Amino acid sequence: MSFALLAIALPFLAAVCLGFAGAPRQGAIANAAVSGALFVLTLAVFWHGGSGLVAADPLAALFGAVSGFVGFTTSLANIGYVSADEARMPVHRWRLYHALFQVVLGASLLGLYADNIGLLWTAMEGGTIAMTLGVSLSRTPTALEAAWKYFILGGVGIGLALFGTMLVYLAAQPALGPGFAAMSFAALSTHAAHMDGALLTLAFLFILFGYGTKAALVPLHGWLPDAYAEGPAPLTTALSGLLINVALLAILRFRHLMQANAASGGTATSPGPFLLTLGLASLFLAAFSFSRRRDARRFFGFSSIEQSGISAFAFGIGGPAAIFGGLLHMVLHTLLKSGLFLALIRAAGLRGSAAPGNYGFSHLRGILAANKYVGWLLGACVFALTGLPPSGLFASEFIIISQTIQKNPYMSLPLGLGLLLCAVAVLRNIGPLLFAKAPHEKPKKPGGSANLVALHLALLFLLAFAMPGPLVHLLSGAAEALQ
Amino acid sequence: MSLTFSLAHLMGGIILLCAFLQLSQRRLSAMITLYQAEALVLSAAAFWQGYAQNEVNLYFTGLLTLVIKAVGLPMGLREIVLRFNMVRAVETAMPMAISMILGLGLIGVAVLVVLPTTMSSLSLTREDLAIALSVVLLGLLLMIVRRNALAQIIGFLSMENGLVLAAIGMPGMPFVAEFSVALLVLLAFLVVGVFLLRIREHFDTLDLSGLEEIERRGR
Repeated sequence: MSFALLAIALPFLAAVCLGFAGAPRQGAIANAAVSGALFVLTLAVFWHGGSGLVAADPLAALFGAVSGFVGFTTSLANIGYVSADEARMPVHRWRLYHALFQVVLGASLLGLYADNIGLLWTAMEGGTIAMTLGVSLSRTPTALEAAWKYFILGGVGIGLALFGTMLVYLAAQPALGPGFAAMSFAALSTHAAHMDGALLTLAFLFILFGYGTKAALVPLHGWLPDAYAEGPAPLTTALSGLLINVALLAILRFRHLMQANAASGGTATSPGPFLLTLGLASLFLAAFSFSRRRDARRFFGFSSIEQSGISAFAFGIGGPAAIFGGLLHMVLHTLLKSGLFLALIRAAGLRGSAAPGNYGFSHLRGILAANKYVGWLLGACVFALTGLPPSGLFASEFIIISQTIQKNPYMSLPLGLGLLLCAVAVLRNIGPLLFAKAPHEKPKKPGGSANLVALHLALLFLLAFAMPGPLVHLLSGAAEALQ
Repeated sequence: MSLTFSLAHLMGGIILLCAFLQLSQRRLSAMITLYQAEALVLSAAAFWQGYAQNEVNLYFTGLLTLVIKAVGLPMGLREIVLRFNMVRAVETAMPMAISMILGLGLIGVAVLVVLPTTMSSLSLTREDLAIALSVVLLGLLLMIVRRNALAQIIGFLSMENGLVLAAIGMPGMPFVAEFSVALLVLLAFLVVGVFLLRIREHFDTLDLSGLEEIERRGR
C-alpha cells in the first residue's frame, strides 16, 4: 500500500470516528493529532507515490505536503477556537464540524494524488458537499443563503466538469481506446498528440468553467466571498484554499493536454486566450470589489479570487517559466492566506469572539491595542498579500510579469494595472486595522496560534527568497512537463 | 445495430422531450411527474445500452436509476410538496413562452456545438452526446428561470439525468463516472433535504426571493 493511499484513507476514517464521538474539545485535540499524522504521511508521499489509480507525481506530492501543513497548523489553531466558542453550537454539530474538517482534507488529497480524471472529479464533488455543509453550520439566515449559493453554483460547476471529463475520455478514444488508460493523466499526456483536437477544445471549455467555479474564476466566483464570510472560520476560510489549489492544478493539467495536442499538429486550439481572459477578469473584478467591504473575511475572499486569477493568467501565458511562476504563486499564496486567516481568527478572538459576524473592519480597528504581537503579525500578513518586496509573493509575481513582458507584451499592461489596483486597495486597510484609535482596552495574551502565523510567514519568506534546491528542481521539472 | 441505434435514439428523444416540457410547467407536481418519466426512460436506456454493449455495469446503473431516481426521489419530492403546502404554488418568475424559446435556442446550440466537433466518433455516440448536452443545458436553464427552491432542485436533477445519459453512451467508459453520478444524486438530495428543512425553519417559505439578507445589509 502506498503512502498516497494511506494519506487519503486516514482523513476519511478519522472523519467517521470524529463524527460520532467526543466532546468538542476532545474532538479538536483528536483532529489535531490526526492532522499531524497526516502531515507526516504527506511528506512520506515524496518517497513513494504509488501507482495505478492513485499515483502522486512530484507536483502532486508537493501540493499534498502544503495541504498537510496547512491542515496541521489550522487544526492546532482550531483547538483554541473550539475552546473559546464551545457553547455556541450543540455537541453533535461540533462533531460534524470536525468530521467535515477531515473530509475536506481527504478530498483535497484525493484530488491531488489521483491519476484518473474520474477520481479527480469525485474528489471535487466530495469537497463541494463537505464545504456546503460546513458553510451552513452556523445556521443563521445569512449562512444558509451563502450555503445555498455555494451549492447551486458548485453543483453547476461539478456538472459541467463531469461533462468535460467525459468529453476528454471520448477525445482520447482514437489514441487509447476504451478502458482506464483513457482516463489517466500520465497516459493522456504521452498520447496527447493523437487525441481528437476539436473535441478536446470543447472538453477544455467545459472543464475550465466547471473547475473554474471551484477555483473561483470570474464569472463563476459568486459563492466565494459569502462562503468565506459565513461559515466557521477555520473550516471555510483557512482550509478552503486547498480545494482551490486542486481545481487550479486540474485546469493546468487539462491545459497541458490541449497545448500538447496543438503543439504537435493536432486540431486543438491554443488554451492561452481562454485562461488569460478569465484570469484578467478575476483580477479586475477583485480590484474593483475591494472597496466598501465591511467584513474582513469577505474582503480577503475577494483577494483569493485575485490570486486565483493571477495563477490562471500565468498558466495562460504558458511556457515553463510562467508555469513555474504560477505554481510557485499557488504554493506561496496558500501558505500566506491560511496564515492570514489564522491571524484574523485570533484577532477576532481578542475582541470577544471568533464566531461568524465578528470580522467587520470596524470591529477589528486598532487591533495593536489589544495585542501587539498579533496585531503586527496580522499587519505583516496583509502587507505580504500586496506582493510588495519583502513579501514572498513578490518573487512569484515578478516571474509572471517578466514572462508576460517576454511572451505577450500587450498583456503585461492590464496585468500590471490590475496588480497595482489590488495592492493599493489592500494597503489602504492596513492603517486603520492596526493604528486606529480604539476604545481603551486591556492588552490580552497573544495565544498559541500567533506563533503558527509567524511560522507561516517565515516559511513564505524562506520559500520565496532562499528556495531550497530540491524544490526548485521539483517545480521546474513539473513546469517543464506541463508546459 | 440498426435496432440499437433507433431504440437508443428514441429513448434519448423522450428524455429530451421530458426535460423540455419541464420548462413549460407551472406546477411543481407536474414537474415531478415529468422528472419521474425522464428517469424511467433513462433507466430503460441504461438497460438497453448495457444489453447492446454487453456491459454488466450499465445494468447496475439502470437499476440504481430506476430505484433511486424513478421511485425514491419523486416520492420524497411529492412528500415535500405536500408538507410545505405547495400543491397550489404557481411559478411566476418568467413567462413560460420566453423560457421555452430560450430552451429551443439552447438545444440548437448543443447540436451545433457537438455535431461538428465529433465527426470522427460513432454516429450513435455523437447524436447521443448532442441530446445529453441539450438535457444538461435545459436543466441549467430551469435552475436559472425559477425562483422556487424545489423547482431549482428539479432542474439540478434533470441536469444529472443528462450527464448520466452522456455517460452511458460512452463506449466502454469505466464505471467510476456512473458511480459518482449516482452518489452525487444521493448526497445532493441529502444536502438539499437538510436545506429545505432549514430554510423552512427560518423563512417559513421556499420562495428564495426573500432570501437576500446579505444583499440588503450591503455586504
